[in-house]
Amino acid sequence: MESEVFFLIVILGLVTLATRAGGYLMILMFKTIHPRVEAALDAVPAAVLTTIVVPVAMTSGWKEALTIIASALIGLRFGIIGILLFGTCLIAGLRIVFG
Amino acid sequence: MLNRKFEIFDGFKLFLPLMVATAPFGLLFGAVAAEKGLSTAELLMMSAFLFAGASQFVALDLWGYPLAYGAIILSVFAVNFRHLLYSASLGRKMGAFSGWQKLLAFALMVDPQWAAGEARAEERKGKGGLQPAFYFALALPLYCWWVFNTWIGSIFGAMVSNPEALGFDLILPIYFLGLTMSFRKRHNWLLVVMVSAVASITVYLTLGAPWHISLGGAAGILVAAIVGKPQAGEIASGK
Repeated sequence: MESEVFFLIVILGLVTLATRAGGYLMILMFKTIHPRVEAALDAVPAAVLTTIVVPVAMTSGWKEALTIIASALIGLRFGIIGILLFGTCLIAGLRIVFG
Repeated sequence: MLNRKFEIFDGFKLFLPLMVATAPFGLLFGAVAAEKGLSTAELLMMSAFLFAGASQFVALDLWGYPLAYGAIILSVFAVNFRHLLYSASLGRKMGAFSGWQKLLAFALMVDPQWAAGEARAEERKGKGGLQPAFYFALALPLYCWWVFNTWIGSIFGAMVSNPEALGFDLILPIYFLGLTMSFRKRHNWLLVVMVSAVASITVYLTLGAPWHISLGGAAGILVAAIVGKPQAGEIASGK
């Protein structure tokens, strides 16, 4: 392996690790967490996961959009495995039937 | 009560659907990397050191000789930026982890891993919370599976011509959707989801990926901070 490639990959690995541990290290610097920061952090999962799902639902086509919306409704009643089974079967079915 | 066997079982159970969801991406990465001229050692090293699907694809996209160091590093940083939010949030729930376990946990914190950790911490609040046994029972298999698939992909590149054939490409978005739904009892959930949705699609259509994740997420988080009442009791209003 060329040393150039080796060093680049090491740097990329360190950049990735820095972002993955960095948020926690920033939080550690505060002695106490302000309630608003606490509220902000509690919102992270819903906020970020939404941003991953929405563009897929809105820009892939009607079959994908329908599957995401139907899966969200199923999610009101069933757990994660149920949603996965339902959603995967629905999109596979729609693609088989409508090409 | 903490039971290590159950923790491991629960963690590993989540590996099974994610196995199906992540395999096409790993195979595809290996195939494209080999085609781009990376040796087996190089692409395995990248999978092992980065362990980050989206960033690996971005790096690959810019790969060429001579290597464009600055552009590749900056792009990988941009794609990874969302991880700062992940670790700020999940780090608070790692009370049961030792220092080294935290470091290893962060190194292995890919999107579904982080989301699974958040969901687990919520589910087991007051009952031991997020345990290292649960976390690593999912993280270590996912890691090995990813590296293995990129290797297989580099050998049998042509095999994965069309990962969209059956709907495997939608498993991860559906998984993330399911986890989003599982947080719906948190304060201001619907407001946060709506704001993030509108912001992310706006950024996606203007600035483009990957900024819709960090900026869209930031919009929802900011709104949560603004409307979040100081000292609001967590117990009362769980609608």
